[in-house]
Amino acid sequence: MDNKRSELKKIIMDTKTLPTLPGVVNKLNSLTENDKASVQEMARIVSSDQVLSARILRLVNSPSYGFYRVSTISNAMILLGIDVVKCLALSTSIFEIMEKNSLGLWEHSLGVGVAANLIARKLSLPECEEISTAALLHDIGKVIISLKCSEAEQLIRGAIQDHGMYMRDAEREIIDTDHAEVGGWLAKSWFLPDKLSEPITFHHDVAQSGNHRIKTAVVHIADALIKASGFGDSGDCYVPQIQQIAWDVLKFDERLMAEIIDELEDKLVEVKNFSLELQGSDISVD
Amino acid sequence: MQKIPLMRATAGMVLARDVFRNDSPVGMPVCGRHTVLSDTLIARLGNLNVTTVYVEGHPVWEDGDRSLEEMLVELDRRFEKVRNDPLTLKVYEMFVDHLKRSMGDSGGQQAE
Repeated sequence: MDNKRSELKKIIMDTKTLPTLPGVVNKLNSLTENDKASVQEMARIVSSDQVLSARILRLVNSPSYGFYRVSTISNAMILLGIDVVKCLALSTSIFEIMEKNSLGLWEHSLGVGVAANLIARKLSLPECEEISTAALLHDIGKVIISLKCSEAEQLIRGAIQDHGMYMRDAEREIIDTDHAEVGGWLAKSWFLPDKLSEPITFHHDVAQSGNHRIKTAVVHIADALIKASGFGDSGDCYVPQIQQIAWDVLKFDERLMAEIIDELEDKLVEVKNFSLELQGSDISVD
Repeated sequence: MQKIPLMRATAGMVLARDVFRNDSPVGMPVCGRHTVLSDTLIARLGNLNVTTVYVEGHPVWEDGDRSLEEMLVELDRRFEKVRNDPLTLKVYEMFVDHLKRSMGDSGGQQAE
């Protein structure tokens, strides 16, 4: 059992076997280390890859961020911050796979992004955009598992169907790790900042999150709310237990939660439309 | 709340969201939420090329639409593993309330 886990970890940490990283990201990485690089300069680099820019702008204009009509990469960088744009550039290949192979998971991720953004804004938390991004990415581990262990994935799906298990439990039983941990490995191998990798790694176990517990708590609750509303398909249909520590760390109260549930439905209609539009007008620029 | 084609809208329905020109999510709304639709208003919206509106409750039923009862059964199933957890149960009850309010006999209007 343990072999599988380390084998999988090796595959993931070896970036060569992962979906291609846009070359632009490397250029961007070397630029951000140089403090003098201006946003314009960085935007120019990203814009030089038109497919990538189109995909980033599409995400930036998704309901998960709530901006709409961001039409240039430099605007996106100013509004969302360079970290977030870089992270979206890194994840475009994963999102693309999600969109093509598992629309349900894509909708689930967009939904959690929207719910997290809603919670963060209601609670006036700092770094809303980072929270939305972490929420969009929280299940990337599932994409990697289905890409790299397709046989095991069939077994996992079978176990969920036959025994009514949580996906996470089925993963633990079959590959001795779970999508949260796998997502965390991926985030590390991409050198994502802790504020993004922690919520991905610990969205099922908020207490483990040390430095970014608030962000992790938001993603945890957003995930539970989206599963409760039955939006998208994250692999199993069961609402996870909402952890008391997440509720406490965000100082949630019932009135606020009721407000969020009401507003969420409104937003989910938008997400559904966004997802339908994407499928309809699929920008197959490649 | 339900999204319906303007053609299916009838007088007496209540807008659940602001209506914008050309389905644009930004800019000035042409008609605010909570407005009660009238025949004249529907005709005007049609003249502005509005094609769909969001209305309160669930006034238009199509094949395949789920009733409140069906939705509650599904909700129940999704929460079946966490029914013993007091905090998650509280959230479950909020979802039940929400569904009843948005699909309820009152046409989905919130009692304020």
